[in-house]
Amino acid sequence: MPRLSMMDKIHAAIFAVGGSGLVCAYWIAFFHSDLTLPKFVHNVTNPDVVRLATVYMGFESAFPLADLLVAVTSALAAFYLIGRDAKAVLFGLVASGALGFLAFIDISFNLLHGLYAPANLFSDTGLQMEAVINVGCVVGATWSIWRLWGHPLRRAEDRPSRLRAMETVGLDAAGN
Amino acid sequence: MSVNLPAACFLAAVAIGVFVEAIAGAFKVWTYRSRLFLIFNIVVVFGLVQGWGVGWVIGGHGALRGVFPVLFMVGAVLGILTEGLNQYWLHAWSWSERPLFGISRAIDKSAVVGVAWGFAPLVTVLLARLIVKASVGV
Repeated sequence: MPRLSMMDKIHAAIFAVGGSGLVCAYWIAFFHSDLTLPKFVHNVTNPDVVRLATVYMGFESAFPLADLLVAVTSALAAFYLIGRDAKAVLFGLVASGALGFLAFIDISFNLLHGLYAPANLFSDTGLQMEAVINVGCVVGATWSIWRLWGHPLRRAEDRPSRLRAMETVGLDAAGN
Repeated sequence: MSVNLPAACFLAAVAIGVFVEAIAGAFKVWTYRSRLFLIFNIVVVFGLVQGWGVGWVIGGHGALRGVFPVLFMVGAVLGILTEGLNQYWLHAWSWSERPLFGISRAIDKSAVVGVAWGFAPLVTVLLARLIVKASVGV
């Protein structure tokens, strides 16, 4: 069984804190405060902005169910990674894939609706926070997928690789 | 006597805890190292953390429709944390040898039950609202 390296500990902490804890915290704040909302949603004077704010709020409100998958699979990835179990790779890849997917949907929405136009981005701290979250999710998901792909726990469960490795050292499939 | 929602959430979660532990005890799904851990689990983890903490703080204000996934999400994440603490560190309860829904490894049982904790705040909030309604009607 491979040892839990320092990088595995960091990876588990990122899954637990970033993938689970911060996602939960974000949605608690979303439903109970204005902390996560961009400034433009409070603008009630311009009908165009009001329409965009309605679309934006509807779009954001669709995320919790999808983020549930990210938060739960991230927690499971951390749980199995600490236990040095091969399922960490499975749940880690699911969590990272889902996180990257949701981040790209969010980025796509914000770009298509002009929310990431420099004029909007520089004047709205809520959008700046969203941009940081989006970039963090894409970078984190990419790094996590890259790292798990070559992780010893994945190889431990990868039967063809194991068979090839056994053939190399002159053992048959039964290990004799 | 009318009951307010925070108290109802706590009471509902404790009731769910008693029910779950009674079922688990009857079928010997898991056993506690000490009775104190059983009481701690029902009062603190079910009642205070999942019931009052998650159920009331997140689901105790306004409409429930949009917040349901968040209740499950936070309940499940805290559940996985609870099961992880027990699995790797506390060893307050241990799993029986018998498979649980076809799952035989202890680590997998902990993971599945960790996710199932997500239902605790959901059911708590629904039950708590019924308790409040019933108490106002009395």
